[in-house]
Amino acid sequence: MKNFFLNIKKHYKYAVYQAKAELKAEIANSYLSWIWWILDPLFYMLIYTFVVVVVFGNNQPGFPVFVFIGLTAWDLFSRMITGSVKTVKNNIGIINKVYIPKYIFLLSKSFVFIFKFMISFALILILMLVFRVPFTLQMLNFPLIILSIYTVAFGMGTILLHFGVFVEDLANIIGIVMRFLFYFSGIFYDIAIRIPKPYNTILINFNPIAAIIHQFRKAFFYGVFPNYYILLIWFVMGIILTVIGVHLIHKYEDSYAKIA
Amino acid sequence: MENAIEVKDLSIKYKELKKMTIKQSLLHFRLNRTEEFEAVKGISFSVEKGRILGIIGKNGSGKSTLLRALAGIFSPDRGTIDLMGNTVSLMSIGTGFQNKLTGFENIILAGLLMGFTEEEIRKKAPEIIEFSELGNFIYKPVRTYSSGMYSKLAFSITALLETDIMLIDEVLSVGDIHFREKSGQKMREIIRDENRTVVIVSHSMGTLKELCNEILWLNDGVIMETGEPDEVIAHYEAYMKKL
Repeated sequence: MKNFFLNIKKHYKYAVYQAKAELKAEIANSYLSWIWWILDPLFYMLIYTFVVVVVFGNNQPGFPVFVFIGLTAWDLFSRMITGSVKTVKNNIGIINKVYIPKYIFLLSKSFVFIFKFMISFALILILMLVFRVPFTLQMLNFPLIILSIYTVAFGMGTILLHFGVFVEDLANIIGIVMRFLFYFSGIFYDIAIRIPKPYNTILINFNPIAAIIHQFRKAFFYGVFPNYYILLIWFVMGIILTVIGVHLIHKYEDSYAKIA
Repeated sequence: MENAIEVKDLSIKYKELKKMTIKQSLLHFRLNRTEEFEAVKGISFSVEKGRILGIIGKNGSGKSTLLRALAGIFSPDRGTIDLMGNTVSLMSIGTGFQNKLTGFENIILAGLLMGFTEEEIRKKAPEIIEFSELGNFIYKPVRTYSSGMYSKLAFSITALLETDIMLIDEVLSVGDIHFREKSGQKMREIIRDENRTVVIVSHSMGTLKELCNEILWLNDGVIMETGEPDEVIAHYEAYMKKL
């Protein structure tokens, strides 16, 4: 693990520059340029709210805020997971030229995703004003919430990065798993209410993203204390996954270039 | 004279851990693991600082694998590679550019990967851009480049961001006649620098005779001969004719 931190320190600048360049490239030739970064999550949210409020007839006050909190957290998580599987394949040109610890690519991608997450987060705050969801001191729990999502996603990402090299159709499988997970993470409904006991508590306790979204909403939507134990447990789980993933990568990364 | 590269008993294997599908990985996980192909078979050699070593050998004899191992991309399966703390860069066809990013951004990223600081690269950048003859294209995404522009940029980056040890895989010159001459000239300049250690893989015997102090002949992963360029090349050519 000591090597992990040394490597991060050594390649941090590369990761940051890469992320910035990538964000710039994304908007370089579009007419609305950076406005897309806002429009994209905004429309996403509008579509889901439309489905839930109009099609399914849910008229709980402030419901768009509820949905958007779920979507924001989900996006960060799912982008990290989906992006990690093909990391080595997508960077094979660089990998064949120079040695670089492979999780640096994941780190760099994560900066891009965090940037987008922060825009979505700003939109949450605006939506809260629009729908009169009161701002409370609970919102200060925000860093803890993002830290636990990020750590879990990064940990899983490092492991998937490794197996993604060897198992050709892992990306397909992850695609299906993520779609499944999307519907079982309570993004546009409340797991605690909509899913019968005892399955709701099982889902909330064992599905990391459902658990963290639930805490996110407690702090922002309901204005009550999040469950710090849950956040801590998933943070620790994330650390454990990262240790395993980084160990796998350190051990096998030299053979990635021979296979991919 | 001190050594810049010391290789001892180096072996590199390609494990036939090829890509598989989930089904295969569930059924044959252990089986697949055992097949191995040894590309470099326990070789030892050293290169003195400032010397130029040429590597020859027929296709598939392990030349590029050896070069990549020296660059740190592959780790040895057995044996050691000691670069004595020197910085190293690998110059080969097909560089790791990212198509959606601009040439300039790619210069910075490549430099950072080679271990330079951003300030150092920015200081060198005007020279690189001038040498590459890309002009304003440098601020356009690399995907808009022609293949000639692409290799010119790749060449300019590795040639101007100089490291202590340079590994050159078949790219002694690139581009059109004009650039070819210029890049060949630059290459000679770099190679002849007294402090720079160079390892060249090439099939152009003339160039190797002209540039190298020493030749290493690799055949099926083992060293056939090392020594004076004229001598080794003569033996190699005689051997190849017999095939």
